[in-house]
Amino acid sequence: MSKPTDLVQGTLDLLILKTVALEPMHGWAIAQRIRQVSGNVLQVNQGALYPALHRLEQQGWIQAEWGESENNRRAKYYALTRAGKKYLQKEEANWRRLSAAIGLVLKTV
Amino acid sequence: MRWVKSATHRFRSLFRKNIVESELDEELRFHLERQIAENVAAGMTAEEARRAAMREFGGIEKVKEECRGERRVNRLETLGADLRYGLRALRKSPGFAAVSVLTLALGIGANTAVFSMVNALLLHPYKFHDLDTLVRVWEDRGIDEGYDARRIAPADAEDLRGGTQVFESMTTFGWRNFNLSKEGNIQPVLACRVSANFFDVLGAAPAAGRLFTPSEEQAGLDQVAVVSHGMWQRRFGGDPQVIGKTVQLNGRSYTVIGIMPKDFDYPVPAELWVPLALTPTERAERAELNLQALARLKPGVSVAQARAALGNFSHQLEKEYAKTNAGRVTTILELRKELYLYTLPLFLLLQAAAGFVLMLACANLANLMFARMIGRQREIAVRAALGASRARLAQLFICETLMLSVVAGAVAILASFWSVSALRTSIPVNWTKWVPGWDRIQVDGNVLALGIFLALSIGVFFGLATVLHTGKVELNETLKDTGRGSMTRAKGRLRSALVVAQVMLALVLLVCAGLTIQGFVHLANVYQGFEPANVLRIEIALPEKEYRDSVKVANFYQQVLRGSAVLPGVRNAALVMNPPASNVDNETTFFSIEGRSVLKTSEQPSADLQIASPDYFAALKISLVDGRFFSDGDNRDAMRVAVISESMAARFWPRGDAVGRRIKLGALDSTEPWSTVVGVAGDVRQNWWNPVTRPVIYKPFLQSPERGMTILLRTASNPTSYVAPMREVIRQADSGIAMRGVNTLEEEVVESIAIVRIMGILMGVFGLVALALSSVGVYGVLSESVARRTREIGIRLALGAHPGDLMKLVLGQALKLTGIGLAIALPISFAVSRAMASLIFGIVSADFKVLLGFTGLLVIVALAAGYLPARRAMRMDPMTSLRYE
Repeated sequence: MSKPTDLVQGTLDLLILKTVALEPMHGWAIAQRIRQVSGNVLQVNQGALYPALHRLEQQGWIQAEWGESENNRRAKYYALTRAGKKYLQKEEANWRRLSAAIGLVLKTV
Repeated sequence: MRWVKSATHRFRSLFRKNIVESELDEELRFHLERQIAENVAAGMTAEEARRAAMREFGGIEKVKEECRGERRVNRLETLGADLRYGLRALRKSPGFAAVSVLTLALGIGANTAVFSMVNALLLHPYKFHDLDTLVRVWEDRGIDEGYDARRIAPADAEDLRGGTQVFESMTTFGWRNFNLSKEGNIQPVLACRVSANFFDVLGAAPAAGRLFTPSEEQAGLDQVAVVSHGMWQRRFGGDPQVIGKTVQLNGRSYTVIGIMPKDFDYPVPAELWVPLALTPTERAERAELNLQALARLKPGVSVAQARAALGNFSHQLEKEYAKTNAGRVTTILELRKELYLYTLPLFLLLQAAAGFVLMLACANLANLMFARMIGRQREIAVRAALGASRARLAQLFICETLMLSVVAGAVAILASFWSVSALRTSIPVNWTKWVPGWDRIQVDGNVLALGIFLALSIGVFFGLATVLHTGKVELNETLKDTGRGSMTRAKGRLRSALVVAQVMLALVLLVCAGLTIQGFVHLANVYQGFEPANVLRIEIALPEKEYRDSVKVANFYQQVLRGSAVLPGVRNAALVMNPPASNVDNETTFFSIEGRSVLKTSEQPSADLQIASPDYFAALKISLVDGRFFSDGDNRDAMRVAVISESMAARFWPRGDAVGRRIKLGALDSTEPWSTVVGVAGDVRQNWWNPVTRPVIYKPFLQSPERGMTILLRTASNPTSYVAPMREVIRQADSGIAMRGVNTLEEEVVESIAIVRIMGILMGVFGLVALALSSVGVYGVLSESVARRTREIGIRLALGAHPGDLMKLVLGQALKLTGIGLAIALPISFAVSRAMASLIFGIVSADFKVLLGFTGLLVIVALAAGYLPARRAMRMDPMTSLRYE
């Protein structure tokens, strides 16, 4: 098994927020979704996922609720809060600006 | 609103811990099961699927810990756990806990007790607002004069009031002894004559009634009085109607116009204030320094600036009034410091000694902690292996040490309440009433703050020190080690450093304490040159108005002396201006010697001035060195005579030809009459703080009668039984005169050195504590390190080493460490004892015997500490010692 690509510090938060923006999701699904959407490039280190979820919840960007999972088990679902939505927009814009800038540098130099 | 949510989360995590924990558990379990299901779906066997899922996840416990960490309650939560753990650990070793708490409590308690004195007496002697801007003002005549001579001439004070830019306000005052007659009883009252603005300068307001107005500074209008709270209570029974009533002072009626609040005590111990009403002639006086002055500095003016400005001012006065003001410099001293010229070094010494006791206590505690830490190395290693970070370990240790130090601090502070009040009441009121702030010696906010600060900082310090110390624990080494608790080189060095430090601290403190105790023992004979036993002293203050005529003064005292001389059992009845051990400095005077002129005023010789009746020398058994003492023939009609002290004779007539020479008070050209020296008397130590006996000129009472004198009676038996007969003798001479300062001279001597004795006792206690702590400490450290070598000794013995050589090896090492400590401490102790001898002159003298004695004692302790455990180790069967521990 290849080593998962290291995520830039802070990027994991952004990915999680973006993922749960669609619909409330539990931890495992979030990891799966990120991997699938990124075409297996981004492998979320599961040791880092849960601390990140708890941190985001602590900060109030997401909130958790217990619900029924697809295989009829009790699972903890995370959903984006209003504050989280604003924060996500801001962070997304930041990210675009940053990656565009990096792209420019890579292209011209 | 976000923080509300965070807070609820945190709250939930802290107090609904079980729910949160089980939820975390469930969340992670769900994740794993889901992954396993996924893996199975991908074609793995159940077992393979589980392992793969686990592998991918990493350490579950680690993830959980990180999730908890994200909730940021970790610190608080673990703090509780650490406190509980610490408490349990301490309860498991109650001996260690009790010894360390007691040691620390002793150290902290010593500091809070001494600081309560320093705080009340040195830092907050008065309750006046902006105390630091209040200064005493006086004219320095260039002679070494004591506190009682800090005075100013009235005319100079008047000029000063308007003449400088450094004072915001200035006021003058002077002591006055009153005889208060109340229903036929005569009582002494110590009063103060003050300018009308006296209370304004101090910023004091009356508790009831009013204060003086400027118009009351005139003779005729000045018969008004303000009484102190104490006097109001004692002499008027707290009568609320006292204002407006009249009191009889020196035979005149004064109207009480005000009562001061309880905490107003300037100048101590005045009981009553009356206006300072000077006649125009008195106001114009420039030659005689007879007033005291007090000023408030302008905001922003420093004491040094003010001194410089006053220096210029004095030069002007000198130019203008060369005749009277030559050689005088107006100077100031902070009010805060004025009374502590002699005792400040003693207090500083005590505080330093208390600091040393605390350091020794800490050194001992360090030993104990160190020994304990070696025993706990494995536990620490296990904790570190299980993922405890340095910060986490630090928290644990600080919790443990803080618990010790906080309990110790609490014990110390509780004990201080008792010890401080014991200190306060241990000194007779006769002495303490002269000490501003003495009644306020108590455990107040400042003292509490110091105690708490010491306890907390010691706790944190030891916690951190332990962490740093265990920082380099070799995990593998320690865990592999079968619990022997090995010592690395670094730790060995630290241990050695502890021994050295302990020996060093111990010697310095022991030497200080030893010297002070020695000085205290010497204090018993500090008053030399006279015999205080069987002498009664009674002070008399004749009122100025009735006794303006010096013949009348002389007649009064002559009648009293005659009346007391015939009392059965009275050996001698005598008068003196200032008896020894009065804690009052003698008046100092310039004098001139016939035939010896001085070029500059600064070269004018000076001496203490005493006035005595013929029997004074016999009453105190002062020895006659040369010539004769006074006789009844030395009266106002006879040739002026003087007796001088031995040291004065030796200084000015070293060839022993003083008798027959003529001297006069003041400069050569002054109008004072010449006096012939008729005798030389043995030296008398006036007060305990006088470093050497000072030159004294005695003048016969009949040739210079004074209104205020002290009667001394040498009696055959108990002098106190003469108090009642003497009251009658004095009443017959004048029924309006009170006896004041009635005491036996022996008692007076004891009381005069009361403060020094208390200091001596405290230093003695500190010394004993130091001796105990350091012996135990040095012994503990050394014997521990020898005991730690039991195995090694066993092996060496088994391999055939000679016991004598082994003993030499062990003792040599103990001696080497002690030697290093002593080598560092000896020069320090020597310097400290020299400094003490110069600070506390006359009491402490640098003494090699003390130094050598304590050095020897510490060496003996070190030898015992090496010898005893070594002998035990050698007597042990080699097999046993190999299995030791």
